Amino acid sequence: MKVLAEGYNSFDTSKTPVGTVKYLPDPQSVIKLIQSGKLKEHILLVQGGTTTFLAPALSMGAIGVITLSGAPESHLGILSREFQMPCVMTTYLVDSESRYVTGGDNAAHFQEVIKALDGKKVQLSCADRELGRVVLAS
Amino acid sequence: MSNYAKRYAAADAGLRFQDLTYMGNFKGQEPVPDGILGDKMLKQRAKSKVLEKVSASDVLNDEFSVDELNDLNNYLAWNIWDVLVMRATEGVSGMIPRQEYEILAFMHEFYRWPEILRMTTDEIGAQAVMDIGATARREIGIKVNCVHDWCIGAVGFGMGRCGLLALEVIQPQDFVEESNIILKFMQRVLWGKRQDGWILNSQDRYRCLIHEKGVIDKLMTQVEQFEPDSPNHDSFVRFNAAAELLAFLDHYDCRLGLGDTGPYPLPDGKLLIIRDLFTNEEAYHWSDVCDHENVPHCYTLLLVIDPEGMGLDEIRVNDISTTFTRPKNYIPHITGGAVFAREKWNTPMSEVYSVPIKDLDSRLVGIQQATFKLYTKFARMSRRQLITNGMYVYYIDMILPHLRLAGTYEKACTDYNFWEIDQRVSNYYYDITKRGFAQATVPQKIFSGEGYLPFPDGVDRRRSKYFWS
Repeated sequence: MKVLAEGYNSFDTSKTPVGTVKYLPDPQSVIKLIQSGKLKEHILLVQGGTTTFLAPALSMGAIGVITLSGAPESHLGILSREFQMPCVMTTYLVDSESRYVTGGDNAAHFQEVIKALDGKKVQLSCADRELGRVVLAS
Repeated sequence: MSNYAKRYAAADAGLRFQDLTYMGNFKGQEPVPDGILGDKMLKQRAKSKVLEKVSASDVLNDEFSVDELNDLNNYLAWNIWDVLVMRATEGVSGMIPRQEYEILAFMHEFYRWPEILRMTTDEIGAQAVMDIGATARREIGIKVNCVHDWCIGAVGFGMGRCGLLALEVIQPQDFVEESNIILKFMQRVLWGKRQDGWILNSQDRYRCLIHEKGVIDKLMTQVEQFEPDSPNHDSFVRFNAAAELLAFLDHYDCRLGLGDTGPYPLPDGKLLIIRDLFTNEEAYHWSDVCDHENVPHCYTLLLVIDPEGMGLDEIRVNDISTTFTRPKNYIPHITGGAVFAREKWNTPMSEVYSVPIKDLDSRLVGIQQATFKLYTKFARMSRRQLITNGMYVYYIDMILPHLRLAGTYEKACTDYNFWEIDQRVSNYYYDITKRGFAQATVPQKIFSGEGYLPFPDGVDRRRSKYFWS
């Protein structure tokens, strides 16, 4: 089991969703994914920890989310718990020193994580109370 | 085994939900933590009695002393930090420029609300303002709730004044009279709602036990029991989440769409949370898509939670109407539920109806469709349109329910141009994106507590802003 990344665990759950990471940069990409009918094949990767950006994806049954900012107290953290959808927040690569800084310029950090995770088949491991993990799926 | 009841013992200091601490205007003193211990420390540091239980006659008094204003300023600043500091990590939305609209709205509220709230108090009297708060004790699906009432003081006064101070367009000694008007209105509504002498949930160990027994008993007759992972549990949970999401979206990603009260202890040892989800606000033009999908103004959910099953250590219904627990995940331990629908904001309580759990999946389709249509609509809007709409959500909605019940909403619109944007705030639109003002400066002032400067000793309480510099 190779852990690629870690972050805040929105809530502890035995669910371990598997899917190909899909980075969603804008609302149009969210709409396109839903219209493709392949929403449940993907673990969704987003920059923000807010709810509205992913609203239709959550409502239509997204299986798992990775965010690059936000905390379990964020709106998205609350909603992921209500949907019982595993969610790893403010995710960082375990083999990198780069971390998210609240209010800072995080562009390079985001790009590094997106580049490392986008397109990979992963499993979310969220059994721990505090720490969520992104694991490379076999 | 649960330990949550220990939190209600006088000597208990509660759990820490986060590692961060708060400083605010208490430089040189011990930092203040979150939760019950933080509340205790703020009460100990107060110079007045305004953070203790207050009487109806205290609340009917029109004027706070300067010490009382400063104690409320300090307490609200800590309370804002307590409920929102971790949310500040969430970064940009990618959909709605929330930080920008929030800051404009704070400042707009501080400028515009005082005359509208004063007019409302003049029209109906101070006792009737308290009676507006009391309405929430008898009704469900009502926006006179924790988050709206808290926002009057915490957002309109606290963050609004903080933002204007940060922009250096006001000074600490300005707008004392207007601050008094806002905080007095907030205190009256909150006191009328709780009627136990406290005004905020954090002062009462994060409880909001406002509904009378008769109201709860009547609602509880509609609760359906279910097993974990049963089809009914899944339907109920799915519906709760989807309706909550639409409520967030209709309110531009803010919590005005959500209202929890509780935790009410039930005779069998379980806990009840009553949750209003405002899924269709007719004041917003974009809610037309909710009308098209026959989504009501509000769905109210009763959530029966088993504290023993989850080993509940602490439960907080905080002042922005949101429930947090330790352990965090209470959803699998919901053992029963009920759903009610209120079609319009003014639908009589006698016409609020129960929706059986077997009917939730069909109603879920309408919620999902409304969510997708709303999202598609927002995706086509310009940044300016999104900021303007979001600003209205804050500025209008935070006092809309109180004006509606007071019968002064129409007067506010016609005589006070409620829906107009103050020219000063219109101009600030161009300033807030410079030098990271919206993204960094104001959030830092708000969440460090550094921006809530006290009113100076000896300031004239009648002072507005007499000169510009």
